Amino acid sequence: MKRCTCILNRNLKRAYLQLSNGIKLSGFSFGANREVSGEMVFNTGMLGYSEAMTDPSYLGQILIFSFCMIGNYGVPFPLRNIMSQGYESNSIKTQGIVVSNIYNGCYHHEKGITLNTWMKEQGVPGIVGVDTRYLVQLVRKSKNLFGKIYTKDSTLQERKKFSFLSHFRNNEYIDPSKYNLMPSISVKTKVTMGNKYATKRVAIIDCGIKWNILRMLIQRNCKIELLPWDNDFSKINCDGWLISNGPGNPKNTGDLVKRIREQLLVSNKPILGICLGHQLLALAAGSNTKRLSHGHRSHNQPVFSLPEKKAYMSSQNHRYSVERDSIQDEWNLWFENANDHSVEGLKHKTKPFISVQFHPEASSGPNDTSWIIDYFVNLL
Amino acid sequence: MPILDFLLPQQGKKQKVILLGSGALSIGQAGEFDYSGAQAVKALEEENLKVIIINPNIASVQTNKGKNRAIYLYPITPFWVTKVIQIEKPIAIISSFGGQTSLNCVIKLAKNGVLQKYNVKVLGTQIDSLEISENRELFAKQMKTINAPIAKSYAVSNLAEAIEKADNIGYPVIIRSAFSLGGLGSGFAQNITELTNIVKVSLMNSPQVLIEKSLHGWKEIEYEVMRDKLGNTITICNMENFDPMGIHTGDSIVIAPCQTINNIENNMLRDMAINIAQSINIIGECNVQYALNPKHYEFFVIEINARLSRSSALASKATGYPIAYIAAKLVIGFELLELQNPVTKTTSAFYEPSLDYVTLKVPRWDLNKFIGVSKNLGTQMKSVGEVMAIGKNFCEVVQKALRMVNENEDGITAPMFSNATDTELESELLTPTNLRIFAIYEAFKREHTLDYIHQKTRIDKWFLSHLMYIANTEKKLKTFFSKLSMINNKTIITEYNIYNTYSKISKDYLMHLKSLGFSDFQLTQIVLSQCCNLKLKLSIQSIRKLSFGVRKLRKQLGILPVVKQIDTTSSEYPTRSNYLYLTYDGIYNDVVKRKQGNKRIITLGSGSYRIGSSLEFDWCSVMTSQYFKNRNNDSIIINCNPETVSTDYSASDRLYFEELSFERVLDIIDIEKPKGIIACMGGQHPNNLINPLSKAKVNILGHNNQTVDDAENRTKFSSILDKLKINQPEWTSAISYDEVTNFINRVGFPVLIRPSFVLSGTLMNVANDKQSLDHYLSLTKNISIDAPIIISKFIIDAKEIECDGVAKNGEVIVSFVSEHIENAGVHSGDATMVFPPQKLYTRTVNVIKDTVRKIVKELHLHGPFNIQFIAKNNDIKVIECNARASRSFPFISKVANINLAEIACKVMNNENINKIILDESEIQHVGVKASMFSFQRLDGADPIVGVEMASTGEVGCLGINFNHAMLLAMEATKIIKPHKGILLSIGREKAKVKFMEIIDNIYNLNIPIYATKGTANYLESNGYKVQIVHWNRVPRAVDMIVNGKIDFVINISKNLSVNELYNNSLIRKIAVKSGCSILTNLEKAIAYFKAYDSYNDLYAIDNCISL
Repeated sequence: MKRCTCILNRNLKRAYLQLSNGIKLSGFSFGANREVSGEMVFNTGMLGYSEAMTDPSYLGQILIFSFCMIGNYGVPFPLRNIMSQGYESNSIKTQGIVVSNIYNGCYHHEKGITLNTWMKEQGVPGIVGVDTRYLVQLVRKSKNLFGKIYTKDSTLQERKKFSFLSHFRNNEYIDPSKYNLMPSISVKTKVTMGNKYATKRVAIIDCGIKWNILRMLIQRNCKIELLPWDNDFSKINCDGWLISNGPGNPKNTGDLVKRIREQLLVSNKPILGICLGHQLLALAAGSNTKRLSHGHRSHNQPVFSLPEKKAYMSSQNHRYSVERDSIQDEWNLWFENANDHSVEGLKHKTKPFISVQFHPEASSGPNDTSWIIDYFVNLL
Repeated sequence: MPILDFLLPQQGKKQKVILLGSGALSIGQAGEFDYSGAQAVKALEEENLKVIIINPNIASVQTNKGKNRAIYLYPITPFWVTKVIQIEKPIAIISSFGGQTSLNCVIKLAKNGVLQKYNVKVLGTQIDSLEISENRELFAKQMKTINAPIAKSYAVSNLAEAIEKADNIGYPVIIRSAFSLGGLGSGFAQNITELTNIVKVSLMNSPQVLIEKSLHGWKEIEYEVMRDKLGNTITICNMENFDPMGIHTGDSIVIAPCQTINNIENNMLRDMAINIAQSINIIGECNVQYALNPKHYEFFVIEINARLSRSSALASKATGYPIAYIAAKLVIGFELLELQNPVTKTTSAFYEPSLDYVTLKVPRWDLNKFIGVSKNLGTQMKSVGEVMAIGKNFCEVVQKALRMVNENEDGITAPMFSNATDTELESELLTPTNLRIFAIYEAFKREHTLDYIHQKTRIDKWFLSHLMYIANTEKKLKTFFSKLSMINNKTIITEYNIYNTYSKISKDYLMHLKSLGFSDFQLTQIVLSQCCNLKLKLSIQSIRKLSFGVRKLRKQLGILPVVKQIDTTSSEYPTRSNYLYLTYDGIYNDVVKRKQGNKRIITLGSGSYRIGSSLEFDWCSVMTSQYFKNRNNDSIIINCNPETVSTDYSASDRLYFEELSFERVLDIIDIEKPKGIIACMGGQHPNNLINPLSKAKVNILGHNNQTVDDAENRTKFSSILDKLKINQPEWTSAISYDEVTNFINRVGFPVLIRPSFVLSGTLMNVANDKQSLDHYLSLTKNISIDAPIIISKFIIDAKEIECDGVAKNGEVIVSFVSEHIENAGVHSGDATMVFPPQKLYTRTVNVIKDTVRKIVKELHLHGPFNIQFIAKNNDIKVIECNARASRSFPFISKVANINLAEIACKVMNNENINKIILDESEIQHVGVKASMFSFQRLDGADPIVGVEMASTGEVGCLGINFNHAMLLAMEATKIIKPHKGILLSIGREKAKVKFMEIIDNIYNLNIPIYATKGTANYLESNGYKVQIVHWNRVPRAVDMIVNGKIDFVINISKNLSVNELYNNSLIRKIAVKSGCSILTNLEKAIAYFKAYDSYNDLYAIDNCISL
């Protein structure tokens, strides 16, 4: 039987997702026609794809959106300035994305471009038409899963895009936790932001900060100094420290933990650690971190504040977590996860040091814990 | 301590808590409260509480007898709730699971001091908070304290003021005339000129006009919020209306979760919802509705509901999160963190579900069933039911949902507007009716642009672009097929032709068509539409058969739907959820837990609630599914109605929230390979599937296909009756107008005209004369061999009797006879039913039972049945036989205390069962089942009952005698004892005479009595004084009603002819609109006023009957 494919076929190019466990899925290509590989991770948030894709914590990862329709409201018009929402950094940080359906239109009042166009411009590939629910189950069940997206004529991703990529051979799966990602993601030189005359000065160790943290501090009238991760912190003149979120294994960060211990913890200036920053602070304080069996990557993680006896919905994106047993005597467990009881926040018993595993800056996700930022600013 | 102290058992005795239901189903308050109530009962009983349920809705699952509960089938009014409080001495009352009825009742009981007097605590959200949510002014004030924006509205009495306020609000504005009929003097104004024009007119008619911000075209969005006593708050789900502001949410197509808003908008609205719940101190559940500006970041809070609602039921089904169950735990003192998510059983209930699919709710309207009602949609809800479709993309869910909601299988591709002119189409787009989505689809097929349709409808382009995509795909397919010579010059099409046609397109594309939601039936229709030489229009059955060509090809190519779970976590955590759906947008089946052994039984549910198929069939489905579940079978339900208990995850071992279509049921059978299918418990809709399913060699439990066909096919059934020498009204199946005339010449008027089973959807009517006959015949299609019309002699003044029962292999196991109060001519679904019968001679009952035995034997019935009779002067005639569970099953079961559904299950499960001998006279109480009408919601509808069913719900009340039960049932259906004045208007002479039976009871009320001229003359000639009112002269009847001088209307028409109805419909419409009690049936009115003999007796009673 001869099949007529010319008239009625979908005008899309076949794409493949090869997984490190041997499974190969097929779908259709969208975005850039590039071959990429990375650690397979998923996010179950139903909105906020542009925020997620620009979140530096996803560096080196291929992001699976479990929600079935991505791209519904397009992508806001490319960056006016850091304050305009929708972006969490200046470019897409995920290696690629995997979706079930994409919407190829943009009718939202934030008149921008379609997801497809944006990804093309940014050189990031996507694969659509994949059973993402099945994929989420695969990721959940495997300890480590890597994947590669390609088409029959895709060109290999530019290895210069992020410096850590050059460590990998062409046919090797990219495993972001193998290397120190800080040089790839942190600012190269000090950047100053916010109201010049503001009385509160926050020094931020940039491990791949999400812009909404900056926005929230600026809205709260702070002056910000965004520091490269390898800066000498002892010379910095500020009222408080923020150790930002970021990608990778907290133990794979060069001498950053040591410098935090020696240059920050010795003073009494307030410190706020967020996500990776929380893990780094905990390591610096003598605690240990471990890799969770599967990460928390969603907008609906319940966290429980022990002193308040109150629970909040939080946005999370992490694979590593502070070991509960390793919490040092000077520290209190501040938040725990209501589902798996993992450590979600620490608070120093005497000094103004606080840290949270979740994202008080949300974006995307619920704003329930934005008060943590207020709390920190009030400490300054 | 999780549970509140005072709810703990005292000295080993359980504490009692009152849970109010919502009463009879009516438009705006339907099955969703049976679902929320049933979940609440479960949650409360688990915590060692004794639940006292007050709800006259006898067909609901929550009014099933249970060990730890007491059921009071009484009207939900402060009077009766107080009585129950006095009897049961409960510690607390719960208001939030029975809709507005329950909420209003509890507020009244708090205000009149009853709760305080008997020390009954209100659980959950407290009275002052409830009042804030209910009172517009208090609400506005409260919203101001938390800076929640609400749309401004001002009352003005002159033009200058109107202009000033409009400036203040900002254009565009809406002008509403405070007292206008039919919208005169209301409208939109974009600027000062338009405002001036409209306000000038409206101020001429009305002293005051309201100026409001126009939210025309804004998005309508809802959030469901849960909050515990500590203030832990989550939002379960957000939902977005396909139809922008202006159409009641209940009448809107709703998608969950929201699709067209971004992260910023979502969290802006979510934060506000949480703030509002906090500020009003909600404990339990509440729902917040917003209007969201589509042009920039701006929104208004429209309203909140501090109780479970239709939306919360929908959100439960959309997410899998059992909102009512958890809310019930919260109101008795639990904290969210103490509770587990019952779906995952490992994660916390403090959790916002994440979905990896979308759901779409589509309302079901039955506007054709009401005479005179406007089809336009607006702020008043008109739909009577709803369905929900689950899938992975919008095209898939919209196609699924539109097939679910109607009986026909062609969904969105149905050619509803193919003959409409462009102007008609445009007006449909501008002024939405229940069919607008079909008009949009047609407009896309005619290549109107996205911008054009968006401009007319204001529907977000995201939704519209999907509809456009489906329309383009259909067109593309048609163009492709039109060039295929292999089909378009055929005169006969076979299954093989269909198979071959689809073999011409690629596998990928066929897969794509299926994931866009096209059914095999629709794909077949698309081919057929291109076969220009096809002579006959094919019947549904033939198309179904042809569609097997597509099915065969699909199976060969491996294009099959996959099973996915709804698990609240998007698979982030492992779950054993039994809540399933099918989709073509995926390649792997989720791993689902199944019981071992081949004992799978599939029960088909009832689908959308509609006029004629409601809660009672869900009750039957739930009973069936639970019966098999409890006997260690693997019990599976297929249903698509989110308001039901049968679609609760605990009602079965596995729930497929799916289409009840031939194709989908077969898909599920392929997956589950069940031992048998039960299709006779969900009403007519699943019953219709018996024929095609058994032809596809599916094992149907219960009656076999031949039996069902014999019972339902008018010709076959009648000849069986003739053969058995059982009387039936004279009838004929006419295939020409001459045959109709011949028949009428023989039997005379009046005659009952009904569509044959091929022509479903057209109305059944009684013709009293040639004029009405011609009128009705003009409504039906041409009479022909393919579309015969069934005419039978209509017998006046005859009694109607029903027999419900269960048979096994042609033998009656159990059967009960009940009688109607109304004479024949009122649809059995609208009639008032009495059980056990009060006015039948034993001899009559025996004759009926004997007839039943004969029919059961001849048809070889094997399962539940219902047979209807009419009786006149000891002459008994059979009018129909339903080889399925009937509407009255729960009523009869609960009154007789014998569960007919369960017996039917035993029969279908081939268990040994003895004949049950229980005489009607041995039944302890008298039950009256009465119908609830929703005419008040249906602007323009004539509140008259006839052969076509119009009621939307029912109640069943028990009494120690008929009078008690009758009065209670009437009160529960809003027929309230008159206090101000009563209007009598009795048509026929014979009826006037008969009416004299109760005239003294009416005069004993000592209230003013008004009558129309004929009736007044008659009364005066019999020595009764009465005030005359006129149709069109002062004093006018309608004025008296509008001015509140009359609060009860008895209006009995001469007959149901068009002219007669037209003449006095105004009185009835005005009476309904003004909230009068209205009776339009003579026998019902007589029974009601006769029962007044026992009025004082009933209301002074100390003991209420409980189940």
